[in-house]
Amino acid sequence: MQPIEPDAPVTNEPTLSATDSVPPAQRGSEGPDPAGTKPAAEDGAEAVEGYERFSMETMATPGADLGFPESLEGLRDIGEASFGPPPEPPPPGVAEAILGPDDRTKITNTTVYPYRAIASLLIVARDNSAWIGTGWFIGPKTLITAGHCVFIKNSGVPGRDGWVKSIKVIPGRNGATMPFGSAVSTNFKSSTAWTVNGNANHDYGAIVLTTPLGNAVGSFGFGVYSDADLLATTANISGYPGDKPSGTQWFHARKVTSVNPLKVFYDIDTAGGQSGAPVWRVIGNDRIAIAVHAYGGSTANSGTRITAAVHANLVAWKV
Amino acid sequence: MPLISGKVVDEQGRPVAGARVFISRSPGPVPDTALMTGEDGSFTLSAPAAGEYEITSATDEQSAKANVDVSGEHHEVELRVK
Repeated sequence: MQPIEPDAPVTNEPTLSATDSVPPAQRGSEGPDPAGTKPAAEDGAEAVEGYERFSMETMATPGADLGFPESLEGLRDIGEASFGPPPEPPPPGVAEAILGPDDRTKITNTTVYPYRAIASLLIVARDNSAWIGTGWFIGPKTLITAGHCVFIKNSGVPGRDGWVKSIKVIPGRNGATMPFGSAVSTNFKSSTAWTVNGNANHDYGAIVLTTPLGNAVGSFGFGVYSDADLLATTANISGYPGDKPSGTQWFHARKVTSVNPLKVFYDIDTAGGQSGAPVWRVIGNDRIAIAVHAYGGSTANSGTRITAAVHANLVAWKV
Repeated sequence: MPLISGKVVDEQGRPVAGARVFISRSPGPVPDTALMTGEDGSFTLSAPAAGEYEITSATDEQSAKANVDVSGEHHEVELRVK
């Protein structure tokens, strides 16, 4: 029997294939009326109204008497000066998706790029259970999301596993407002490693529409980057968390904390409903996805890294 | 796969439909999705590993949390939003 190629694409529609070459980044599109797009800050975090990025700088002058105490005993963490005493840490082995203080910021204007290219997903699974998630446009008719948003695996619930029945896509949703309308899809893509083996390292997928909603909202680019490059990157995430008012989009940005060949880790706050959100970097005016947010974890949340194989599938799925 | 099932109810014990339910604390990584309760307020979530979980339910006005010690195959919990 031939071994399964992990990123071999699979679909509930006719199949495509992947290659292993390292590709140049795919650029996205701001869509119509790009005047509303704000440039990012120098550190690569999006300039979101109301969002304050915490940063630390060294201010020592060589040779100066800085007045440090002789003993460090009893000194508190500098973070308390700005944020107060730290919260009670979770017991060992306990994972939280909100890491430290919750400093997510609501996107108040979802009609501008890139936020309008991010969609609220309403998912109906095979057993008719209803779920929420997040997706993002890479082309007029294609959104990328987590594999577990399009194919449920190893749920343990009778009748739930398999391709979901349908997904309603609402780009730029803002509460009850759907500024670009919505569309329902029954055409999904994912990787063999996810659908056959439930391998969380290959947890990504696509939603294909019959209506080119992406023409109205723009699209994200996506790229493959080295470990060193990613570790120097500020990652932005925006999506639709279930712990906030229904259908509101929330943003956060932090430096990538670690990577492995297949995943990117970050201490960016997320909550259930943000599965599938884009993890992106800003290069000039381009918004380039580096991962697909998928899991809440113990010390960092994580996304499926855009590798050469993932990139190839995204290119193949893009319509 | 261990399961956590239950109902979301209001302060009078009536089922709450359309509440978002998700795992907010877990022994390991979990998918960042959220389930929406049906008309009877019920939900069933997968718990990938044994250990302590916190389940959160939220509507636009109310919320509730519950801790579940997953050690067997099936666990029941009630989330009373307020």
